[in-house]
Amino acid sequence: MPNRLEITDAVRAYGPGTGVLGASLRVAPGEVHALLGLNGAGKTTLMRAALGMVRLDGGGVRIGGVPVARLPAPNWARVGHLIDRPFAYADLSVRANLRVAARLRGLPPAAVAARVEAALGSWSLGRYGPVRAAKLSKGNRQRLGLAAALIAGPDLAVLDEPTDGLDPAGVIALREALLRLAAGGAGVLVSSHHLDEVARIADRISVMNRGRIVGGLEPGGADLERAFFALVLADDERRGEAR
Amino acid sequence: MTGFPAAFATEARKAAAAAVLRFGGAFLALGTAVLAASLAAAVRAGDEQIVAKLGPAAAATGWELLAAIATQVVGAGALLAFGVTLAWSFGREFTDGTVNGLFALPVSRTALVAAKLVVHLIWTIAVATLLTLLLLGAGLATGLGPIGAGAAGALARLFVLAVCSGLIATPAAWAATLGRGPLPGVAVAVALIVTAQVTVVAAPAGGSWLPISAPALWALDPAAVNGFQLLLVPAFALAWAAAAAAAWRRLQLDR
Repeated sequence: MPNRLEITDAVRAYGPGTGVLGASLRVAPGEVHALLGLNGAGKTTLMRAALGMVRLDGGGVRIGGVPVARLPAPNWARVGHLIDRPFAYADLSVRANLRVAARLRGLPPAAVAARVEAALGSWSLGRYGPVRAAKLSKGNRQRLGLAAALIAGPDLAVLDEPTDGLDPAGVIALREALLRLAAGGAGVLVSSHHLDEVARIADRISVMNRGRIVGGLEPGGADLERAFFALVLADDERRGEAR
Repeated sequence: MTGFPAAFATEARKAAAAAVLRFGGAFLALGTAVLAASLAAAVRAGDEQIVAKLGPAAAATGWELLAAIATQVVGAGALLAFGVTLAWSFGREFTDGTVNGLFALPVSRTALVAAKLVVHLIWTIAVATLLTLLLLGAGLATGLGPIGAGAAGALARLFVLAVCSGLIATPAAWAATLGRGPLPGVAVAVALIVTAQVTVVAAPAGGSWLPISAPALWALDPAAVNGFQLLLVPAFALAWAAAAAAAWRRLQLDR
């Protein structure tokens, strides 16, 4: 089976030393892949490139073995994502937002209602169903965004800082949702700027710094936080010497 | 245009919940009816300042006077109202951060643009209908009595003018996309109004060839604009719709 996502030598430069400057990674079926990096490392740009939101200057992206620029429309129905801000319209209720997300992700109209109710339940949003998204707390808006991203049961989930704003119960719900997806054969790419709960359940951890993947961490290894900073520091020093 | 039914269902749902559209539509329809009825009453009462401001339209009486005043109000006001709401419909996706969720979908961005514009057109027709009915109500309430053929024609043209104003606001969608927010779209709508008004004053004959001023000229005086010149209005809207669709197709979320 082809990788759910494969990024090869991706380059998208925004200026000297910013953007993505040659990054490769892959997400296999059934794998949770965490992308770790400090702010400005290029994680969001790399994820946007993976989803066709920005075009690369060099390198390539394949989803399920198909180049992203040529991915047929039905294949996008199998991709769920949350980049930057939750997909939530302030004027719409939580339930209406999920309905909209389900339709846009290609679910047939007859299947939408059941899928929306299931999502409300698994993200503990049931009592907020009739509430407008504008009235939600940041954490509940993030839950709504995650529920919308994953509502169609994707084969590939790309989630940028998914724990942002979540309370511990929300983090557990996310962790369980991702493990369930992976157990069903989906590939999951999550980014974080620190070793949060989700990064700790990853099967693979890649560290990104200044636009490049500079190494990996052993999942379940001891003192991951220290190893992460050591990798970043070593890369900074190496580049300092190269200059 | 993959996924148009889903895109249309989405945009219709968003429009039904949008306070901006409700207030914008009510403001235009109710505002026109109240303003036209008040100005008509002022003319009937012999207010010289209002008569001077309205120009030749003040020479009319009864329903014709009401329709002529409403046409002048709608000529500029509808383009502003529809320009603002259309700019909001496209620009909010950027300022609300929902644009990310409109990428990487089985629904093409061309389908999303088409759905937004079709919903805008439906909403335009609904507001134009409400505006015409309210004006009718205002006329009856102020005792204008039965409507003659001339006034009925003027009211029908007013309805068409309101719908055409929605069509000629289309560049606002393109500008809100390029500028990534509602404000550039609003600025373009204002620029369209100024251009139309200046053209009509500076070169009245040329105004009938300009799609942004032809509908108002036609609504005030049907003989001033021919059918071909009026047909340029939907052509203008389609061209700008194509430009907006192209802007969304090329769009990258890189800033």
